This record gives sequence, C-alpha cells and structure tokens, in this order.
Amino acid sequence: MNTTTDAVRGSEETARRRGRWPRRRRKPADDPASDIIPIEMYGLKRGTTTVLTVVCGLFAIFTLAPIAWIIINSTKTQANIFETFGFWFARPFSLFHNFSLLFQNVDGYGTYIQWMGNTALYAVLGGGGATALAAFAGYGFARFSFRGSRILFYLVIAALLVPITAITLPLYLTYAKVHLINSIWGMVLPSMVSPVGVYLMRVYVEVSVPRELIDAARLDGAGELRIFFRLALPLMVPGLMTVLLLSIVGVWNNYFLPLIIFSQNRLYPLTVGLGLWAQRAQNSGNAELFPLVVIGGLVTIIPLIALFLVLQRYWRSGLLLGSIAN
Amino acid sequence: MIAPLGYAIYTSLYTTRIIGGTSFSGAANYTATLQSADFWSGVIRVIIYAAFQIPIMLAIAFFFATIFDLGVAKWGTLFRTIFFVPFAVPAVVGAVMWSFLLEPQFGPFVHIANAVGVHNVDFFSSTLMLPSIVVIVIWEWTGYNMVILYTALKSVPRDVVEAAILDDTPLWKIILRVKLPMVRPAIVLLIFLNVIGALQLFTEPLILYYFQPQAISVNYTPAIYIYWTAIGDSEYNLAAAAAVVLGLVIVVISVGSLAFRRRRGEVE
Repeated sequence: MNTTTDAVRGSEETARRRGRWPRRRRKPADDPASDIIPIEMYGLKRGTTTVLTVVCGLFAIFTLAPIAWIIINSTKTQANIFETFGFWFARPFSLFHNFSLLFQNVDGYGTYIQWMGNTALYAVLGGGGATALAAFAGYGFARFSFRGSRILFYLVIAALLVPITAITLPLYLTYAKVHLINSIWGMVLPSMVSPVGVYLMRVYVEVSVPRELIDAARLDGAGELRIFFRLALPLMVPGLMTVLLLSIVGVWNNYFLPLIIFSQNRLYPLTVGLGLWAQRAQNSGNAELFPLVVIGGLVTIIPLIALFLVLQRYWRSGLLLGSIAN
Repeated sequence: MIAPLGYAIYTSLYTTRIIGGTSFSGAANYTATLQSADFWSGVIRVIIYAAFQIPIMLAIAFFFATIFDLGVAKWGTLFRTIFFVPFAVPAVVGAVMWSFLLEPQFGPFVHIANAVGVHNVDFFSSTLMLPSIVVIVIWEWTGYNMVILYTALKSVPRDVVEAAILDDTPLWKIILRVKLPMVRPAIVLLIFLNVIGALQLFTEPLILYYFQPQAISVNYTPAIYIYWTAIGDSEYNLAAAAAVVLGLVIVVISVGSLAFRRRRGEVE
C-alpha cells in the first residue's frame, strides 16, 4: 500500500529534478521569525528598535573585540604586538612568516601542526565515539525496557552530576596503574563517555522515533539491527549532529584532562601546547613565542567557528540544549 | 550500549579503590583537606565569583534573548550568531586573548582607559583580578546561555502573549510576569550548570597566572589547588582527597537543588 505514495513521491522527485515542479519555499523550522508578533502590538515606538539594535551592536563589539584583536595581531611581529596599539595594524606585515612558524619546532618544546593533528584525532575519535555510543544507548533506553534499564539510566543521570575536575585526578591515578598515561586512549576513552549525549539522545528518540513505526517494522519481520540502522538512525540524525557538535567542542576545548595525563609534548592537544607556550613566553624568557601564541590561537579557533557556521541550524534551534530544561 | 556505562562504572570502581587505599594509609588526607585554609579560601573565592558572574551573565543573556524573541532589534539572526561565537573559542585561547587585552603595560584596554581619562588601571591587580575573570567568563558563556533562553522563550505559546496584549498588559509585565515564569525551568537549569562550572573554575585563572604570577595564588580556586597539589607538589593522595571533597560539594549542591525542585513539583 506504500507503492502509491512512493510512486507519487517518485514522480514529484523526478519532476523537481527536471525543474518543472514549482520549488516550494522551505519554511525554516528553526527560525520561526514568521511567527513574531508585530512590535506595534506591544505599544512600542519605532525608535525603540533603533535603540535596541544599537545596544545589540555594542554587545557584538564586546564579543568580537578579542577576535578582531587576534586577527590583527597575528599579522604583527613580536615587537609590534607589544609596542603598537592592539586594535590596529602595524608594519611589517608578518602574517605569513608567523604562520610558517607553526610548522616548525621553534623552541624545542613541540610543533604546532603536530598538536593540531592530535587535537583533530582526539576530537574525531572522542566526538565520533561519544556520538555513536549516545546513539546506541539513547535508542536502547528509549525503546527497550530490559532488566536493570532503569537503574542503568539512573547511573547515567548520576554521572551527569559528577564534576569533570573531581574525576580527572582519580582518572590520572587509575591510568598510572593501567599504563594509560601518555597514551592517546587515556584522552579518547573518557571523551567517548558522554552522559549528556546519552540523556539527550534518549529524549530525542522518545520524541522523533515513533514506537508504532518500530512495531510495524517488527511485524514485517525486520530484524532489530536493521530497524535501528535503516529506520531509526536516519530519524535521529538532527539529534546526533547536535551531540556530535557538543562533544567535538568538548574535546577540542578540553584542557584539564590532557594537561594532567600527558607529559610528552608530542601528544599534547592544542590547548595544552598553547598554554605551555604562553607560560614559556612569559616566564622563561622565550618572548619569540608570543607571535606563535597569537597566530596559534587564531588557527585553533578557525575550524570550530567554521564548523558552527556550517552546522548553524543544529545549535541555533537550541533543539537539544533546550530540551534538557523540560 | 553497556560499554560507556561499563567503562564509567569500571573507572569509578577503580577510583574508589584507589581513594579507599589512600584513606587506608590514613584518613589524614581528608582531615588535612577539610582543615586546609588554602582549600577553603579557594572555595570561598569561587563562591564570591559565582555570586557576581552568574546573575550578571544570566541578566544579560535574558535581556538579549527577550529582544530576539520579541524581534525588536534589527538583524536578530546575525546578532545571535555573533553572540554565540565565543562558545567555539577554547577557554585557553579566550584567556590568552584577554590576558593580552587587559595587560597592564601594553594592553589596548589600558590604552583606551587612559585615552578616556582613567589612568593607572591595573586589571590584574589583586582587587581587579576577580572582576577581570568575571568579564572573561561572561564573554565566553553569555551566547550559549542566551541561545538556551531564546529557545525556551520561543516555546511560550503565542496565544498566552496575545491574551496579555489584549488585556493591555504593559510590555515589561508581559516579559517579567508572563514569560519569565514560563521559562523558569530553563533558568534553573542554567543556574545549576553555571554553579557547577564556577566551582570548577580552572583554565582562565591558570592562564592568567602564566601572565601575571603574582596576582594568582596556587590556591586561587579549588581546582587550581588540586592541580598544584598533585602536579606541583606530587602530593597525589592529598589532591585526590581534595578532588573528592570538591566533587562531594558539587554533588550535594546538585542533589539538593534537584530535591528542592522536586518538592516544588517542577520535575517528576
């Protein structure tokens, strides 16, 4: 009985591909701007808009000032970073020179590009792993009830409350016992455990994967794995993207854990490497490191800002972030 | 599915055992932590910090979330994106940038302060250090809080607001008496997350310490105390005890606030 709808959809699909079908304007689900009550109804004057826009602009300046500073100063020599005004350019223009230093082991304490690779590796393994596990676990908790599932879920909730700072040192001491210090798994494994992710995916599956759909598929004789991969997983994609985004940011920004568990600078992620450079530049007389700290910081934030701009609709809707609150 | 939980449980068993082991060699570590003035002065400092940082940040976040929700400013979408940008900036990089910006000798903000007639400000003096950290953290987290509040405000049913408008309710009353109570769960959640974050304050003061060692003591926050005790002094057992105490303080606050909310019927 699905054939008719499939056929209709099929012809619709081909028609659109041929360009004959009038392209419907997709209503952006995450931005219900169309639903806004006109401001006159609140009894506000038009001038209010101008004033409030200016206020927003001021806060935007506050928000962007450090970003502007880091962009401007990544083009400066070490002397100019200190001697010229921070919010304007100065000659000579040494952006490319500074950038090339990121590929060298300047002070013998590590190469930026290697740290970049480490961070990317940890983010992909940790973030990807956390998302995969959140998908399985969230689906399992939402759509199966098995012995002990309630207790296990309470454990997940309890894990939400355990502060990272408090768990890091015990982790370190555990690693010392099982030889995971200076091992990338010491960084990746804890990053893959994401109670927030599991919790969010459970909530998301409850809302977006109808129980009836799964039951119907079971009646048709589909296996559980097939149901999960072919039916449930595609429906879970928006939620998974949010979890992926959050966990990648989490790994990318993590400082305390790698700071404690890594003592070899070839394993450092960017955060620890930049922290080390900042410390050496300031306290060990390696002032030539200052331009590296600046350009390194800039190059660190570019991938993440790009990622956020590309995946805007996932965080903009506050989709899952907001659902925690309910 | 069991794997992450299994791993978490496995880890927790190990940690308990290790900590159990340390307390074997003397519960002295816990006594030492509980009696340590260094540890508690850090705790008090982060509580003072939280008392300023969280209300200011939430007020700003709520203000802008309301503006974007009402649509009373132009380019709302653009501004929302801009405000969210710092969330993508690692705390280390954020702290490094602000360290340069606020630097007492050459920092541009000191130049600007001089230019407008405020001379000899030292953002890194012992009195201004904590407010400086408040500013840095507000810079980092306001956008994130704003997005959550904005989403919550968006879910307030339109007819509720329209009914209030028809009743000639003034705008400020609609915001504070109609909308604010309806997004209270989101605000409670944010307070909760921010308090936990504040108690674990670590990265910003540590980076500022690299720039200005005299203004940040080794026990500035509990997390820094744990770090220096473990890595600086190699007193792992004492640091582990401090970590457990800090963890317990946070868990007690979390469970306490949950119990409080449950009693008021806000969560099932």
